[in-house]
Amino acid sequence: MGKDAVDTKVRFFELTMWPHMRAAYNLARWLVRNDQDAEDIVQESFLKAFKAQESFRGSEAKTWMLAIVRNTAMDFRRRLKAGLAEPLGDQGREPADNSPDPESAFVAESRREQVRQAIAKLAEEFREVIVLREIEGLAYKEIAAVLGIPMGTVMSRLSRARNLLLVELGGVKEVQHDLP
Amino acid sequence: MTCREAGPLLDARLDNELDMASLASVDAHLSDCLACSAQYQALQKLHEEIVASDLAHVPGIALERKLADQFLREEKAPLRWWNWNWRNAWAMAAVAIAAVVLLVSVPMLRVSSTDAISAEILDNHLRALQAVHQVDVPSSDQHTVKPWFQGKTSFSPPVPDLSQEDFVLVGGRLEVIHQQTAAAIVYRRRQHVIDLYIAPSTGADSKIEPSELGGYHLLHWTQHNMSYWAVSDVDTTDLRTFADLIRAR
Repeated sequence: MGKDAVDTKVRFFELTMWPHMRAAYNLARWLVRNDQDAEDIVQESFLKAFKAQESFRGSEAKTWMLAIVRNTAMDFRRRLKAGLAEPLGDQGREPADNSPDPESAFVAESRREQVRQAIAKLAEEFREVIVLREIEGLAYKEIAAVLGIPMGTVMSRLSRARNLLLVELGGVKEVQHDLP
Repeated sequence: MTCREAGPLLDARLDNELDMASLASVDAHLSDCLACSAQYQALQKLHEEIVASDLAHVPGIALERKLADQFLREEKAPLRWWNWNWRNAWAMAAVAIAAVVLLVSVPMLRVSSTDAISAEILDNHLRALQAVHQVDVPSSDQHTVKPWFQGKTSFSPPVPDLSQEDFVLVGGRLEVIHQQTAAAIVYRRRQHVIDLYIAPSTGADSKIEPSELGGYHLLHWTQHNMSYWAVSDVDTTDLRTFADLIRAR
């Protein structure tokens, strides 16, 4: 490989992939709920992104990277649960985050921990929009690109997700907009 | 606008995703309807609470090292995509030598306060160059980098998007320069890293003062009660262009 090609590849890594490493890890960690799995997913995603760099055509680097991470995490979970259906509890919730967290017993009463657990409890389709919007600060258009869904779906999922969180955190009744 | 129409738009209102016309209609409805306005306030409070909880999972340094090793250093990488990049090796060696030279010469450089700060800035820049990660908030998006400083600094650093001019935003980090909290905004020009340090200043606006230290260029100026230092090994003309662009924003 020529030096220019090497430089181009290094530059691609440094400019397109590396700046989004933390966002990649954060998304992965929220999707798989275990540090080691999240690290594996980031590494696998970086490999995929690096190999796919010819196909990257200057679209938004962050959404491109996060879409790869998200798909990798989906594949990972699919492999993990091979043959098993997605456990969707009542109101679209999943069992609580079961990652080992020695501190959680002590800080469970803190508000931050309540917020964290409420988000962790959301079903994946709601959790991922909350993470991308509220934690990563992505615009609707970017979330739509990462998840490969229309903007309208982003809006309705986000709205539903927030209402679930309000119910969980505030003891508020879920608001139905059916008033005249 | 009815509640049925306004309801689904409350989230978009909160996320600044509405066009002007819808925004006006939703706001008009909110000022009339107690139920929707209460719901909107609840959403707003939830949003603020999530943001304040700072729930981002941060990767361990081990992962950063692993990735850097895998993609930047061939001898440790499990897959061989490219040969060891000698140009990078020389650059790294040069940085290391410059750092050593600097460590030795820094005490002599501290003749005046400005010189001391310049040396401190360059020191800081070199340290960041050697670190695995150069930024606390890695993002090419100015709308991610700028808000990150909220609550961390008493000022809001300008983070202009200069990608059109080929200065690519890499991210930002928090620094302490001369016992004062400063924002470091990191840009790249080709392979060169440019650190822009920003801290509040009581001094009057000043023109750009260039200086050189150990092969690195420093530009310093004061504008609107903020002190700026741009430091890089990029060539002087490029750094000057960069400073002019920042000053023009």
